[in-house]
Amino acid sequence: MTTLAEPDLGNGRNKPIFNNTTGFSTLITVTVLLLAWLAGFASRLFAVIRFESIIHEFDPWFNYRSTAYMVQHGFYNFLNWFDERAWYPLGRIVGGTVYPGLMITSGSIHWLLHALNIPIHIRDICVFLAPVFSGLTAISTYLLTAELWSRGAGLFAACFIAIVPGYSSRSVAGSYDNEGIAIFALQLTYFLWLRSLKTGSVFWSICTAISYFYMVSAWGGYVFIINLIPLHVFALLIMGRFSQRLFVSYSVFYIVGLLLSMQIPFVGFQPIRTSEHMAASGVFALLMAVGALQYLHSLNPKGQWKKLLIVGGLMAAGLVFLMVVFLTYIGVIAPWSGRFYSLWDTAYAKIHIPIIASVSEHQPTTWSSFFFDLHVLVCTFPVGLWYCVKNINDERVFVTLYALSAVYFAGVMVRLMLTLTPVVCVLSGIAFSILLDLLLRDDDLPTAPVEPNDKNLYDKAGKVKKRAPEPTSQADFGLGMNVRSGALIAFMILLMLFSVHCTWATSNAYSSPSIVLASYGNDGSRKILDDFREAYGWLSQNTAEDARIMSWWDYGYQIAGMGNRTTLVDNNTWNNSHIALVGKAMASNETAAYDIMTMLDVDYVLVIFGGAIGYSGDDINKFIWMVRIAEGEHPKDIHEADYFTEKGEYRVDSEASKTMLNCLMYKLSYYRYDSGGSPPGYDRTRGALPGNRGFKLTYLEEAYTTEHWLVRIYRLFEMFITSVPTDSVVYDFLTVLAKRIENFMMIAAGCGSRLS
Amino acid sequence: MMPAMAQLQFCVLFLVYVATQCTSTNVDTVSSGINIKNVDRTIDISSQLVKITSKVTLENTGKSPVKNFLLAVEGTGKAKLAFIGTKDGNNKDLRNVETDVKGNDDAKFWRVDLKESINAGSTASVVVETVYTKALQPYPTSITQQEEQLVKYLGNLYFYSPYPVSSQKTNVILNTKAVETFTKVKPFLQLDGSISYGPYSNTAAFTEKELVVHYKNNSPFLTVTRLERLIEVSHWGNIAIEETIEVEHTGAKLKGPFSRYDYQQDHHSGPASVRSYKTLLPASASDVYYRDTNGNISTSNMRVKKDSVELDLRPRYPLFGGWRSHYTLGYNVPSYEYLYYSGNEYLLKMRAVDHVFDDMQIDELITKVILPEGTTNIKANFPFAVTRLPDSLHYTYLDTKGRPVITFTKTNIVENHIQDFQLRYSFPRILMLQEPLLVVGFLYTLFLCVIIYVRLDFSIHKSEHPHKD
Repeated sequence: MTTLAEPDLGNGRNKPIFNNTTGFSTLITVTVLLLAWLAGFASRLFAVIRFESIIHEFDPWFNYRSTAYMVQHGFYNFLNWFDERAWYPLGRIVGGTVYPGLMITSGSIHWLLHALNIPIHIRDICVFLAPVFSGLTAISTYLLTAELWSRGAGLFAACFIAIVPGYSSRSVAGSYDNEGIAIFALQLTYFLWLRSLKTGSVFWSICTAISYFYMVSAWGGYVFIINLIPLHVFALLIMGRFSQRLFVSYSVFYIVGLLLSMQIPFVGFQPIRTSEHMAASGVFALLMAVGALQYLHSLNPKGQWKKLLIVGGLMAAGLVFLMVVFLTYIGVIAPWSGRFYSLWDTAYAKIHIPIIASVSEHQPTTWSSFFFDLHVLVCTFPVGLWYCVKNINDERVFVTLYALSAVYFAGVMVRLMLTLTPVVCVLSGIAFSILLDLLLRDDDLPTAPVEPNDKNLYDKAGKVKKRAPEPTSQADFGLGMNVRSGALIAFMILLMLFSVHCTWATSNAYSSPSIVLASYGNDGSRKILDDFREAYGWLSQNTAEDARIMSWWDYGYQIAGMGNRTTLVDNNTWNNSHIALVGKAMASNETAAYDIMTMLDVDYVLVIFGGAIGYSGDDINKFIWMVRIAEGEHPKDIHEADYFTEKGEYRVDSEASKTMLNCLMYKLSYYRYDSGGSPPGYDRTRGALPGNRGFKLTYLEEAYTTEHWLVRIYRLFEMFITSVPTDSVVYDFLTVLAKRIENFMMIAAGCGSRLS
Repeated sequence: MMPAMAQLQFCVLFLVYVATQCTSTNVDTVSSGINIKNVDRTIDISSQLVKITSKVTLENTGKSPVKNFLLAVEGTGKAKLAFIGTKDGNNKDLRNVETDVKGNDDAKFWRVDLKESINAGSTASVVVETVYTKALQPYPTSITQQEEQLVKYLGNLYFYSPYPVSSQKTNVILNTKAVETFTKVKPFLQLDGSISYGPYSNTAAFTEKELVVHYKNNSPFLTVTRLERLIEVSHWGNIAIEETIEVEHTGAKLKGPFSRYDYQQDHHSGPASVRSYKTLLPASASDVYYRDTNGNISTSNMRVKKDSVELDLRPRYPLFGGWRSHYTLGYNVPSYEYLYYSGNEYLLKMRAVDHVFDDMQIDELITKVILPEGTTNIKANFPFAVTRLPDSLHYTYLDTKGRPVITFTKTNIVENHIQDFQLRYSFPRILMLQEPLLVVGFLYTLFLCVIIYVRLDFSIHKSEHPHKD
């Protein structure tokens, strides 16, 4: 961090060598950005160093699998890919239900490297993609902040974003997810938007639209951009800051961006058909109206146009709003989706969509997690915000809106912390830059950063030599030497603590691959628990190629990615009724579950059981969500209350309810579980002795259990041939067949109704 | 990819190679002047392989000196035969060549050339070693987790030979007392871990009599179904070896459930399963990695010994009958131990296949040797008959025209096949400079471009630097 102070300090000293300051500050900028890239990259490698180069968690496995598919089969086959290994028996049209930006990015890197005969495996590209992009994010944040305030602030912001835990939580090596590249695209789009707004040039607007296109291809969070930029335009209109530059940049961006975004198969016609996107078109219409009125005004500046302008503008706004409401009412425009709606009403998901509420990262953010993810920045960013509001201009209106909306969204959902982090870094960068400006300015140094107005034609870097506007007033000059150095040291310590915290948080909280667990012995020795891969490896080698595995949806992507087997449900939770059916099977007793499982053609059932090693994220702990989701679709058969004790406790020991003790999930978790310390069969996760023990399974048999009991796989017995009179075999076969077909129709109808 | 000329040249070479392969099968006749005086045979069926060592005393009953003699393998065993080796009384290897005998199409013959011919009336002793794979049949074919594995050996009670045998003894080594049934032809004797038959006198040529032993055999029945061995030679001092291995437990299949509880509580549970095995690597092996498509397999140990590096490999899961596993094992060895040169001529001497586990059997071996870019005049010399596949090109870091790849394959491999092959090739040493120069040149151009770009102004018109605010 100390390097940042050098442009001001070092100028005089190094004058003999660097006789132009622009060259020197370019060098400093490039060096700092490179170092930020390096630091950001390095601090994300904990998982690779501690474990190995491996894809983490759940969603990244799907991304990796589809990237590998694309690399192997080509881009067009990827777009047309129908994945029959997922959502059995429905399958999934991957090309049309995925944001392909991530796969295309790593696919092109792979292609480029292989064209240069650099044989890097696609897995390693996927693993290291997010850390590499963190450097690009730092650079785009630098550009954005430099556009807003000054280059010094930009360097601060770049350094912050490179290591801040709120961003590295989603971009450590191996966390191959959309967010890794999306934040880069987000920052770049905002930078380009501000640049285009400033210059009013069509070129920059088109650049913004292209960057927006990349963002759309990469992450569903593009909706944030397409609402924030119109909001910015709208705010500017209200503030009376309409200009030709605004008119040109927004109309070009909106039209080109709209057309480009509709090229993504997954997005399709959504930008003109859904409420999430209506703000953008509404503002566009409004801008057109205001532009027309302005034009009329310019024809006759002396007329009574001012009033007309205001009234006409308001009327246009009202008209556009009513139009949207009307179109939504008659059904041309889809209303807000549940996910979007849950942003406004935090209790909405809990009541209506348990599947969204069941995901831990969709919970509201706690204060501690704000501090954990942003540390000192959470305190300094209001300072930057205040300075931006104080010295307002068109761009700073934008960053203010960005900050306010992002703070709201981050408060609603832990996951959206990610959108807050960049703006916090930008504003904190501004705050620190102002502070250092204040503290480091020598009273008696008139020669300090005076731009030599060199007209050196050969120096390209000279184009960007403009300095930040001095935001401080004359009153600041009264600070004494001691106060200055004291404050300086205090802030340096703060920054140091910040970087220590960032490294610590990234290393301890966000660098666990979660498919490989490590436990530490008393002597500090490390023991690796590799049960997940053990089980998936077993599945991939020792089951039939087309075997269908039933598990809770969390493990769907991993089974497909590592086990290479067909799953019923996975992390792409598009079909709630199908998930509810699996939940119902898990929550029913063995006989009822067997009917559901045969209906779904299940061959194996996989459950995660952490009782032997005390792993708390196992299926029994998630089970209550399975019950809730199942109850949502099958309220007649499943009742949440049945799974609690009479006092309303969730237990597994002998106090537990009968339904609980006899449901499939319980039985599969505790079947023949008699080991694990004393007393035998003790469940370490829940600290209880299971209530139902020594039972036998009728319809399933244990196929495999991993070394630490973490993953248990059961095989379904073949169709039970019940005592059927021989003469009615044919008839019986037909009825079974008819029942099968009926079941398929039911499932298909279920998914159809979901889709529409 | 390949230049047309080279392709043509290769095709011609290949045709010549195939032609020589075809003509090498000889036709012999059984000499009536040879009699086998005594055979002392040991059949070792304690592992998954059948290893038969026969000490044969040949007698020349004819008039003229005998320079060579024939070995025969019965028609039932010839498909399972993996290796046949012959040594003379001084433990020196004798050359054997596959041959045909008119009128005996069923059996398979080898002609063994003796170092010194046997004069009329005198004798010579020869040791014949044969190894059969998949000759032990699990019986029953599937067992539960707790059951012992029983296998059946079907062999020939007599030494199968084109010559009459005066006297013979056979000792079957089982290493177990648990024998269900075995062929009882007197005289025989069942000892602790073995059964001995004989001596039987005067058996005629080509005599076959079924020998069946049904016994407990819990030794690992592991088959490497496919092994791809990749040897990448670098003239910078390193040879990288990577083996992609598919393993299958080919013993009695697991019937019914697998119980982790039983497997954990009772160490005698799953007696036929394979928890781990040892792989021996060359003593100079370093940077060993052991992984599969899902990443590192963390359950392995490495011990560096004096003459080898011993790896204790544990598959991700224990292997029961019918279960499969696959992994990749790679390591580096310094090239000075395997690569010899004089001037621009190089000789690579490496093992065609290396140790995977004791008493291994490999169904299919594919060895690929990647030589440095610019290598020409490649001549290969193999210790046993292999099928050489068409050469190809491999592109890796900083390659421009690709590295030649020599590929050969062989089926049914056992430990006795761990032998060196030789590759002679020429490589102009000046080409070593190609890659560093490429890097230097690239960086030079890059910096040059940056310098030109920074120093010159390419803009069409001078921008005004419009200041904000």
